[in-house]
Amino acid sequence: MTGATFLQLLVGGLTMGAIYALVAKGLYITHLTTHRVNFGQGDFMMVAGFLMLGARSTGAGLVLSIAGTILVLGAMGYLLERVAIRPLDRQRFASIGAYGWILTTAGVALIFQNTVELVWGKSAQYSPPLFSDQRDQIITVLGARLFMEELLVIGSALVVVALFMWFMKRSRWGKAIEVVAFNPEAASLLGINTGATKVAVFVIASVLAAVAGVLIGPIVTLQPHMGLVFTIKALIVASVGGFANPLGILLGGFLFGIAEGFSNYYDSQFGDVYPLLIALCIVAIRPSGLFGERSGDVR
Amino acid sequence: MPLPGRSQAGGSRKAPLLLYALGAALMIALPWLPVSGFVVHLAQTFCYTAIAVIGLNILLGLSGQMSLGHAGFYALGAYGSALTSLKLGLPMFASIAVGVAVSLLAGVLVGIFALRTRGLYLAMTTLAFGFLADIAAQRWVGLTGGTMGLMGIAQISIGGARASAAWFLYASLGCLLAVQVAADFVEQSSLGRKLRAIRESEVFAASIGIRVPLWRAWGFALCSACAGLAGALFAHQSGFISSDAFTVRLSIALLIAAVIGGLGARSGPLLGTAMLLLIVESIAGVEKFGLIIYGSILLVVLLAFPQGAAGLIDRLRRGRAVATQAAPAAAASRHLMIERLDGVSVTVRSITKRYQGVVAVDAVSLDVRAGTIHGLIGPNGAGKSTLINVIAGLYQPDGGSICLGELPLEGLSTPQRAGIGLARTFQNLQLIHGATALENVMLGLHSSTGVLRSFGRWLAGRDFEAREQQDAMNILAFLGIAHVAHRMPGELPYGHRKLVELARAIAQRPRVLLLDEPIAGINTQEALEIAAVVRRLRDLGATIVLVEHNMEFVMSLCDAISVLDHGKLIATGTPAAIQADQQVIAAYLGTGGAP
Repeated sequence: MTGATFLQLLVGGLTMGAIYALVAKGLYITHLTTHRVNFGQGDFMMVAGFLMLGARSTGAGLVLSIAGTILVLGAMGYLLERVAIRPLDRQRFASIGAYGWILTTAGVALIFQNTVELVWGKSAQYSPPLFSDQRDQIITVLGARLFMEELLVIGSALVVVALFMWFMKRSRWGKAIEVVAFNPEAASLLGINTGATKVAVFVIASVLAAVAGVLIGPIVTLQPHMGLVFTIKALIVASVGGFANPLGILLGGFLFGIAEGFSNYYDSQFGDVYPLLIALCIVAIRPSGLFGERSGDVR
Repeated sequence: MPLPGRSQAGGSRKAPLLLYALGAALMIALPWLPVSGFVVHLAQTFCYTAIAVIGLNILLGLSGQMSLGHAGFYALGAYGSALTSLKLGLPMFASIAVGVAVSLLAGVLVGIFALRTRGLYLAMTTLAFGFLADIAAQRWVGLTGGTMGLMGIAQISIGGARASAAWFLYASLGCLLAVQVAADFVEQSSLGRKLRAIRESEVFAASIGIRVPLWRAWGFALCSACAGLAGALFAHQSGFISSDAFTVRLSIALLIAAVIGGLGARSGPLLGTAMLLLIVESIAGVEKFGLIIYGSILLVVLLAFPQGAAGLIDRLRRGRAVATQAAPAAAASRHLMIERLDGVSVTVRSITKRYQGVVAVDAVSLDVRAGTIHGLIGPNGAGKSTLINVIAGLYQPDGGSICLGELPLEGLSTPQRAGIGLARTFQNLQLIHGATALENVMLGLHSSTGVLRSFGRWLAGRDFEAREQQDAMNILAFLGIAHVAHRMPGELPYGHRKLVELARAIAQRPRVLLLDEPIAGINTQEALEIAAVVRRLRDLGATIVLVEHNMEFVMSLCDAISVLDHGKLIATGTPAAIQADQQVIAAYLGTGGAP
């Protein structure tokens, strides 16, 4: 492998890794606060990708399209929590036990898959580029031909993740989320509206999916059933990174993306399988993830 | 009226032989009725699909484990059987056995993940497994034929097409019957109670002697094997399989069948499978809305009818059932019909437990004499519950040793400790919510009958747990709550729930009984009753260690008291001595102003 190929694979891997990390962050924040995640997180990203495509094709401006997509996805997150997750809390003794939300959120994902398929059809589609004038704008670095679009996706993802982490650590809302995560009862005694916080995290998660969807549109083909794969990979990235460690998830996402890039290079048939298998083994050996802290079930 | 010599306590706790016979007769007659071949084909599909759904129902409804990748096990069963039949020429029954074995093996492997992971992680792992199996089926074309599939897999061929179809139906029916009978037995016997206990809380299940990892792994593997059997039968149904059949859509369809039929209910999988096939057939025309229909069903059923079809039917019949269960055949006297409890001493030697730098218990030593009530008191955060949890084996101490009589507890797991006579109650009360008070007590009982023997008795229609029911009933009667035996814990007042939990602990025939705040949150009258019960248990010989904040209760009941403060033992002695101890008074009331 030449240095140039290496660099190209690395950037490609980092790009996909950034997307995985964004999707996984959404899983992380809801898991932190409610111990639930949206099993359609990848499908939400897919919906965002298609919304973006639809908005651009009507000739709407870039900023307007992005804002609209984020707005719609935020509303979807809100509805998801209110319709498919919160009502389950009232049936604590139902036979499905504590995991009904896995099936209801998956159900919502199926509905979205089908809807998108009805509107845009089954075939794969490209979204117009976000940053460049034409699709294949290329810059050459050290002999490697890199897509502008990919570099900018990595950059944008990093900015969003940094913003997200700043929000969690520094802002009052972020602190409220951490408090609810730590102990909802104590949080409500402190005057934090726990109900609103639980909705808010799902809105934030959907917005992160929206960002991922906006960014991914131009770099892969969009099709209505692409979401599941991203949900699976994001779940795995989140668990390899340790569900409790935001930096670990970012690192985990990049590692996964890079591993996948190189693995695909060496085996075009089953290349995407090996990183999944390795990650699953890591989770089996270290359930708290590579970067997670050990925490006991203190009852 | 109950028949003489038979406990009526459990209602209809025997094999529904008549139902099995009726169902089987209907299926056996079906191919010879004037129906189209398609109906027979559908009946075959119903039989093998139901097998997979039964497994999923036990997994989700009874043991509370999620599988989003059942299509993967189904695929392994199908390919396992198809390939050994095609390439090795194995006869059908042998190749099906291979298919089941392959999926069982995969189930064990994924089950090992299940040991380390739970809830969300298990859902993720199974989802990924199903996805990987799907990829393998699609892309490993050399082996699986991919979407083009495998053709010419052996089929049953006896006589004409109609007779062959009939015999395949009978073969599938036979498998379904066997699986349904086994699942019914699991649901009604101690096996199902144990699975439910694990679902409720693993800590709790371990404390009553259940080896949780073993049960979870095997439970998962056997349910996977059910899916494998279904897949293997599917492969031989029409002699052709392709990877299109094993996508995540199949996993979702199986989940829909389990949910819509009624999770945890015995009739659920059959009802659910029938409804699933109905849905699949009726959406054939509106295929493009397929996923919307699937998704909506999941949402509507889980949100509006979480008990599923079986639950709805049950609700209609409930009124009658309660009427026939009104009078439990309990021993009327408040006598505990158990022989002596062989209490032993508990020797705690300099036990230390730290949580990330905080020393919760600091070199505490205790001597609890056999057959006494030993109180453990101290302000909040003194380390009382931690010490109880270390004795029970839930937490590993950072130093020190504990002996039960002469037996050192080091290295023994929580279930092993339960096995040698250590029973406990929990500060935040642990009961199975989906089972009656009586069944909760039976959970503590040690059954003397082997599983196979009780299966035989159950199948023969005898009341296979009559003795256990009587024993549990007696304990409830002893505690004065025999009348709640058939109520669910959720329907009972808090005080009664505490008593049911205590009854379960008594059912374990404890040599040492750890009570963590036995009267917290209950009224004075009930507290007096519990005090009487605890005293009586002591008189029967049990050693009792209790943590409690109510001083009146502790002082009037205990033979000896130890006081903890900030993890350290500050006093041990008789109640009178403790009440006079200056250090104890200081710990509770403060030292009074600046020195």
